[in-house]
Amino acid sequence: MEIIKATGIHKTYNPDKIPVHALRGVDLGIEKGEFTAIVGPSGSGKTTLLNIIGGLDTPDKGSIIINNTDISSFKDNEMINFRRDNIGFVFQAYNLIPVLTAKENVEFVMVLQNRNLKERTERAEELLNAVDLGDKMDKRPSELSGGQQQRVAVARALASNPTFVLADEPTANLDSTTTANLLDMMLELNQQEKMTFVFSTHDQRVIDRARRVITLVDGKIV
Amino acid sequence: MKMILSIAWRNIWRNKTRSWVVIGSILVGIWSILFMLSFSYGLITTYVDNTIRYQSSHIQIHNPDWKEDQEVEFTLENTESVLQYINNQSYQSSATQRTLVNGMVRSSRGARGAMIKGIHSEKEGQVSHIDQKIVEGKYFTENKKNEIIIAQKLAERLKLKIRKKLVLQFQNAQGDIVAGSFRIVGLFSTANTLYDESFVMIKQTDLNRLLVLPNASHEIAVFLDNSKELAQVKSDIQNQFPHLLIEDYKEISPDANLYESQMEVSHRIFITIFMLALIFGIINTMLMAVLERNKELGMLMALGMNKTRVFFMIVFETLMLGIIALPFGLILSWLSITYFGKHGVDLSAFSDGMEQFGMSTLIKSYIPTELYFSLSIATVFTALLASIYPAIKAINLKPIEAMRKI
Repeated sequence: MEIIKATGIHKTYNPDKIPVHALRGVDLGIEKGEFTAIVGPSGSGKTTLLNIIGGLDTPDKGSIIINNTDISSFKDNEMINFRRDNIGFVFQAYNLIPVLTAKENVEFVMVLQNRNLKERTERAEELLNAVDLGDKMDKRPSELSGGQQQRVAVARALASNPTFVLADEPTANLDSTTTANLLDMMLELNQQEKMTFVFSTHDQRVIDRARRVITLVDGKIV
Repeated sequence: MKMILSIAWRNIWRNKTRSWVVIGSILVGIWSILFMLSFSYGLITTYVDNTIRYQSSHIQIHNPDWKEDQEVEFTLENTESVLQYINNQSYQSSATQRTLVNGMVRSSRGARGAMIKGIHSEKEGQVSHIDQKIVEGKYFTENKKNEIIIAQKLAERLKLKIRKKLVLQFQNAQGDIVAGSFRIVGLFSTANTLYDESFVMIKQTDLNRLLVLPNASHEIAVFLDNSKELAQVKSDIQNQFPHLLIEDYKEISPDANLYESQMEVSHRIFITIFMLALIFGIINTMLMAVLERNKELGMLMALGMNKTRVFFMIVFETLMLGIIALPFGLILSWLSITYFGKHGVDLSAFSDGMEQFGMSTLIKSYIPTELYFSLSIATVFTALLASIYPAIKAINLKPIEAMRKI
């Protein structure tokens, strides 16, 4: 069953000045439990496609259906709430909340979901243990290494029990060992929890571990 | 909500220097406005108190015709019953009767026009405290005739000294010009030298004898221990003696009334200026804090923090800065006002000018307790207002802006 269905996606930046055609009619379907990498050279439209799938940007043309819900017509707050409950994000620059501890960062999305304290605490601890950061729960991002921060980001992305996780160049700032560990961890979560992961990357190490690779060139899937 | 408060609290300490600068500026703003208001209150309160104490009292009672034309024949008919009524009431007050006549004060070196006040020496002291304002010589002695006390400034102008004689000349009840020789026993000086020069005081019995008006009085002055009872007391007396002219100090001395009402207006203006200055200062800082965190705010929205929560997070951050500064500002203000309330601010360098206008040269700062509350509410309200624009800026961010930066 496809949990993400993108049909005829077009996106052009600066249409009135110097138009940049980021996506030119992308059709894409992602099924539950996939571990998919969207690859392509810089400027091929990977991040744009990820942003549109994640509801952070809107297509000029085409539709995005997530879990049988067309998100193209959502208003701002509807989209925010939809993202909160359905999509986990892992960013290249980790983007943890600097004033919160690792555990609080993981709890944060669950707080937004109004889940109770006990449930939040148990889930945050479980996830941080799963990403091997059980002993760093009370550390703030500034006290963690890049790899550790990215693992917290993965734990945070999973905390809300999303339908899928979008990861935009998650390994771009990590060294080889940390990248390998992070991918192992994500693959384990994919297999054990049947969590769907969609990456945008041009990191060969990620591409090698992906079960499905979608290649974008000049805004089109090839 | 708890998490948003927690993030807001921690956010304000991310840039400690900037937060302390804002807190400091709010604190100094609160202190300066309260201290300035306390000084202004002290100045005007002293002026009004002096006016009431030495000039008008809280209430004056006259024959209704006296107001139109201060003629000798417009006396009060039932002075004793009015005084008895006032003294029998539950409120704490002092009251005295006076005989008044306009006349000339002559010395061998000059002459000046003045109001001659015939007073009951003991009661007058209780009402106007003039006995405590004797700067040279002494107050009246019981049973001695033709004693007079005059203002120190008047004595200087007429080149008179203690124990010297002067002549008072005026028209009596029969229309005859009469004169009496009086010996100066004391010189007084209140805070209003200009007013001091306008009258002299002799015993009522001496004046009534010269006026050929035995037992007559033109004025009853009432001083209340609690000025908040003024309206009630005035109304009670008026109801009891409807044929008499009862005036309070605001009617007798419109300048005191003007200062009091101006005080309210000017304080509102001061507080408004304070709020405006504070608003722009806070907006500037919070706007910087928001713009600096564009990426983070966008990321929070990307993760699912809705606009309402983002809005309140910024509002809480701003409110917290104000709420931290508030107690410090209030304590500092209270300490300064209490200190200068006790020791006063000495403005004797400007004594000549100030005494001309009835101002004391030692200004004791004072502020009504309500003003602390008013300013606290104004500070919180200001912070709230100032937070709105940065908060709107924050919620208008697009999460994609943050995503593009990663």
